[in-house]
Amino acid sequence: MRQRTALPYLFLGPALVVLVILAAVPTIYAVNISLQNRTLSAPDADYVWFANYLRLFSDDRFLNALWVSLKWELLTVSATMVVGIGLALAMFEAANARWRAILCLLFIIPVLLPRVCAAFVWKFSFHPLYGATTWPVRALTGETPDLLATPWGAMLAVAFVDVWQWGLFFAVIILKLLESLPPQPIEAARIDRAKGWEIHSFITLPMLKLPLISLVLVKAIESLRSFDLVYVMTRGGPGISTETLDMYAYSQGFIEAGNISYASSMAVIMMVLTVVMFTTIWKRVQK
Amino acid sequence: MKRTFASASILAVLFSTAAWAEPICNNDLRILAQPRDGLTLLEEYVDEFEELSGAGFEIDYLNENDRRAKSQADASTVGSYDVYYVDEANLPLFASSGWIVPLDGYYPSEYDYEDFDAGMRTVASYEGKQWFAPIQGGGDLLVWRTDLLEAAGIAPPTTWEEYTAAVAALHDPSKGIYGVALRGQRGSGANVWRWLPLFAANGGKWVDESGAFAFNSEAAVKATEEYLALFKYSAPGTQTGSFDESTGAFRSGKVALIIESAPLGAMSKDPSQSQVVDVVAFAPPPTPLPGSGYAHGFAIASKANPDDAEKACAGLFVAWSTSKEQEARRLAKGQPGELTRKSTYESPEYVATFGENLSVAMAATGAKTEVLFWQDPRWQELGNAWGILLEELITGSRTDVKGALNELDTFAKSL
Repeated sequence: MRQRTALPYLFLGPALVVLVILAAVPTIYAVNISLQNRTLSAPDADYVWFANYLRLFSDDRFLNALWVSLKWELLTVSATMVVGIGLALAMFEAANARWRAILCLLFIIPVLLPRVCAAFVWKFSFHPLYGATTWPVRALTGETPDLLATPWGAMLAVAFVDVWQWGLFFAVIILKLLESLPPQPIEAARIDRAKGWEIHSFITLPMLKLPLISLVLVKAIESLRSFDLVYVMTRGGPGISTETLDMYAYSQGFIEAGNISYASSMAVIMMVLTVVMFTTIWKRVQK
Repeated sequence: MKRTFASASILAVLFSTAAWAEPICNNDLRILAQPRDGLTLLEEYVDEFEELSGAGFEIDYLNENDRRAKSQADASTVGSYDVYYVDEANLPLFASSGWIVPLDGYYPSEYDYEDFDAGMRTVASYEGKQWFAPIQGGGDLLVWRTDLLEAAGIAPPTTWEEYTAAVAALHDPSKGIYGVALRGQRGSGANVWRWLPLFAANGGKWVDESGAFAFNSEAAVKATEEYLALFKYSAPGTQTGSFDESTGAFRSGKVALIIESAPLGAMSKDPSQSQVVDVVAFAPPPTPLPGSGYAHGFAIASKANPDDAEKACAGLFVAWSTSKEQEARRLAKGQPGELTRKSTYESPEYVATFGENLSVAMAATGAKTEVLFWQDPRWQELGNAWGILLEELITGSRTDVKGALNELDTFAKSL
């Protein structure tokens, strides 16, 4: 009997050890650093306890980064889901098996590109003088639109690249989910002369509610790690209009100041917010 | 014939160098650097250094921001690198923190430190001591399209007023020509770098004699307004771009005049990088602008080299890797952006490769080159904060120049 109860721990043991090493150690280290006044330029540091956290809430740049991160989350998650669901439904309704296979292959390619590469390619594509994306405007009007030079233009341009990578990938996943649904309810609805949008609004998408919510959560977590995209395309600019929390933390820790304790306190805040937010959402969904 | 002579000269100098040197290194050196063509070339000669010193070397590369971050983290903690690649922006921090040691006493005199460009030597100094041997750097050059100026009957500008007038006159977007290319991207080494000469030309100072912040002045307002006014004529894409974007626009033939860091000179004469090779000319920046001196180079790490023997070994590497012989190899390989010595600019090989006009301009611009940024460990933080405000002014997110400077002043006092 004792052996039977110990068996799960035997199987879980190695995985838990790896998890502790990979996740818990850096997390504890980050929390510890965030309670000090450590900078890269000084070898010694003292404990200042919650001074860094208190300082954060009077730091306009941090508050701006919080707001930018919130906008970024809402924009990229909702746009990714809209694009993913829209394309999946279009393929489900209009494409035969062969075309679906071809399109799925094409739609997976963007997400396979490293984010830094995607960011460089699109940054060049948005260039007002040489970019392919801006070429039609140049050719038709003679104007040279500089999307990355305006706060909203820059935000939308970076979000576009994010959605280009993840929206298309999600379309493939959602298509496979649609294909896995039992055909009887859909056939019954068609016999009752339900229209396409009615079938999906009232039957297929409600049936996929849980997997779709899982995708929303996955994308929301992924969107929090937008550093590489923002860093390459805008460096947080113009000004601080696209400076997300991770971008600001990196700037404080390494680019500008070497304030690694202050940067760690931001990282800890991000972690706590993420855990609380996602746990709450997940529990509500499961009710 | 020329190549044979150059090779023979290199070999002769190398043998003579090897003749006096005793192997002084016991372990291979670890170097942290950022990617440079000249350093890739240097790695081909690791055997030569091994013969000279008794040990080899290994270079780890990271791009600029990551290199700065990694070297700060390494130097302040474990100290695993023998030689750091430092630059003008982080020299005060590295020197004042004791992470590197002055070259004096460890840089063999045979390698002729005084031959480095005067402007770069100035940048490599901090509190009266020399801290690194330059790999790259310089001041500024005025570069212009001779065909456009001649067609418009405009003489090459020698003053700031003539320069701005020429920029306005030659700006013709309908023909795909822009008057100038500036840097708008935020950063102490980006938009702030190009703003610094105007600030200095207007009499601006970062701190006064007592060490108090003095930049929030009429000079800063005037410099900023002049910089913003000139942006009306700057090529599209430069509002959020830096050196690559502005010089790229010039080298692709879209820009009439530009004042940029000196490496642009040789880059614009290189057919593989420039479409304006035959229609470009150079001069020092127009009066009263000083050149914004910058330099990157190798410095001796203190933590990884605890005793004099190890410091001397690292010093030998610093001297050998930036020597006249290595520079001759870079010139022969067509790596124009990484030439740092006066003897190179004045050499027949340089004149044959880049023309006499650039040779003369390079030699002359050193006299106008100054350290314009605040040589203080807090510079990166202050410079980057100003870079953000300046980018907002350039892109129109804010319009109040004095308000931005007041904000910077408040921030500076919190440092």
